[in-house]
Amino acid sequence: MNAQLQYEVEQFYYHEAYLLDHRRYEDWLNLLADDIQYAMPLRVTVDNKEGSNINENMTYLDERKPDLELRVERLFTKSAWVDNPATRQRHYIHNVVIHEGEAPEEYHVHSCFLYKRSRSSEIETEELFGEREDVLRKTEGKFTIVSRRIYPDQPVLTVKNLAMFL
Amino acid sequence: MNAKELKQVKEQLKEGHFPQWMVTDPDIYKLEQDKIFAKTWLFIGHESEVKEPGDYVTRMMAEDPVLMMKNKQGEINVFLNSCSHRGTRLCTEDYGNKKAHTCPYHGWTYSLDGDLIGVVAGNKVFGEKMDKGDWGLRPIPRVESYQGMIFGNLDPEAEPLEDYLGNMKWYFDIMLGRSDGGMEVWGVPHRWVAKANWKMTSENFAADPYHVQTTHRSAVELELTPKDPMYASYGHQVVLDNGHGINVITSETGRSRLKYQGMPEDMWPMFERNLTENQQEVFSRVTNFVGGVFPNLSFISTQSGSEGNGHNHLNFRVWRPLGPDKIEILVWFMIDKALPYEFKKKSYRGFLNTFGAAGTLEQDDTENWARIVEASQGKMARDRSLNYNNVINYLMGFDNLEPDKEFPGPGTAYPSCYTDHIARSMHRYWLSLITADMEEEEKV
Repeated sequence: MNAQLQYEVEQFYYHEAYLLDHRRYEDWLNLLADDIQYAMPLRVTVDNKEGSNINENMTYLDERKPDLELRVERLFTKSAWVDNPATRQRHYIHNVVIHEGEAPEEYHVHSCFLYKRSRSSEIETEELFGEREDVLRKTEGKFTIVSRRIYPDQPVLTVKNLAMFL
Repeated sequence: MNAKELKQVKEQLKEGHFPQWMVTDPDIYKLEQDKIFAKTWLFIGHESEVKEPGDYVTRMMAEDPVLMMKNKQGEINVFLNSCSHRGTRLCTEDYGNKKAHTCPYHGWTYSLDGDLIGVVAGNKVFGEKMDKGDWGLRPIPRVESYQGMIFGNLDPEAEPLEDYLGNMKWYFDIMLGRSDGGMEVWGVPHRWVAKANWKMTSENFAADPYHVQTTHRSAVELELTPKDPMYASYGHQVVLDNGHGINVITSETGRSRLKYQGMPEDMWPMFERNLTENQQEVFSRVTNFVGGVFPNLSFISTQSGSEGNGHNHLNFRVWRPLGPDKIEILVWFMIDKALPYEFKKKSYRGFLNTFGAAGTLEQDDTENWARIVEASQGKMARDRSLNYNNVINYLMGFDNLEPDKEFPGPGTAYPSCYTDHIARSMHRYWLSLITADMEEEEKV
């Protein structure tokens, strides 16, 4: 994998994180392909012989673009209390590993995330961490997210809701 | 709680007030653990979660870890998930299938019936005093089920589950017993931790459609729900036995736009075979059933859809207390086995959009539940003598709503869901439990 591509993908993720941290969700939607599949399955604790500790039969989210657009629209209503007053949040994206995808200009990207959130004047902060598996497509020099699967590491999430985008 | 405080609490409840100090008081929390969670029927799981012999799930009954498993005869048993040898947690996984469970500490092995069947070097190190028959897994004293819903009770003397559920069974029959083959749990439950007191979350589902117009106003702003602030009030709030309750929400016309919550028409004859005429009547009119089984099991059966379609979805949830201001929420999505896969999938996506950890409705609930405990832990709110008018308000419907005797279902039905009748009933039952074996002189 060449260094230029690594740089471009990482810059893309930093830009995405910047938009999300600053609640520029409408701009974030522009990074998503119209046919995006955006899902968050459950992490579970199972015997190692099972091979995977992801349960794909249940997800916290299983979204297409119109679903995500509606979520964004909702967060900008006057009475989406979960984001009013505004959430302070940080998306830390790291350990970005890129593989060639099936089509030219398509990439399978693995990354890790750490998400931190502060609400009102509460001294306790919330966090969530795990990994993401993306399919990115590069069209006319710009990346879009075609698919994202979010795998939290915690089987019992320590955030009081999943109002954020990861 | 001393006699004077108890007397005052009783007087306040009679007036439709709930002393705010009792929401998060640590002594009250301890009483709740001992007198409620150790003595009432707690939901553990659904029979569809353990299908084959050897299938198991681990759960918590309030503070007690339990292991629910199916034996070779197909019977489901529930044990304390703690090795009888030194008390180690026996099974760490959430679910799976095993022929036997072996403790990782010294290797003691238990059968699917909970019997101790293997002790490493047993004959060489233990003498005659050690009888394996005495050292099986410790069963949860009472395990019973209704419509596939499995409950446990730590009190061997508890009344039977069906008696405890009482007239809630009639409504369970509609939600869980309408289809041949019953219901199944889809995947595994959502699990997350929220800042909340379990009483307030139980109350939110069992007793409080009034919050819908403001907490969920974003849905009104998006024109997904009606502008009329009374829209969640139409229908009946039904007070049931033992602190249980259900809201049968219809609409301004008294009927749902979609009969049987939008379930496919070819299933209607089956519903009509499985339900009584009165149950059909209630089911045909309802848009949302939302209610609760005391102490901490709640449910909502609702519908999502667009372009005239509706997809019914049902979820059950447990609010497991982790402290006076913290709970673990477990949400099971349940669906009729008899439905076609495509319908199930649409119902599932409707559920994810609205409820569960990411549900757009549930998000704002969690925010408000946190705000209750954040503002209820100071000196004023916690003042036990109530010097600061620190009582919270349950006056809705107190003196201005009479029961509707025409309602076709059991229970005491009030002709509006914007009322605090179920909440007041929950408070009375709650108080009767936490004061159950106080000395007579303390009772005043």
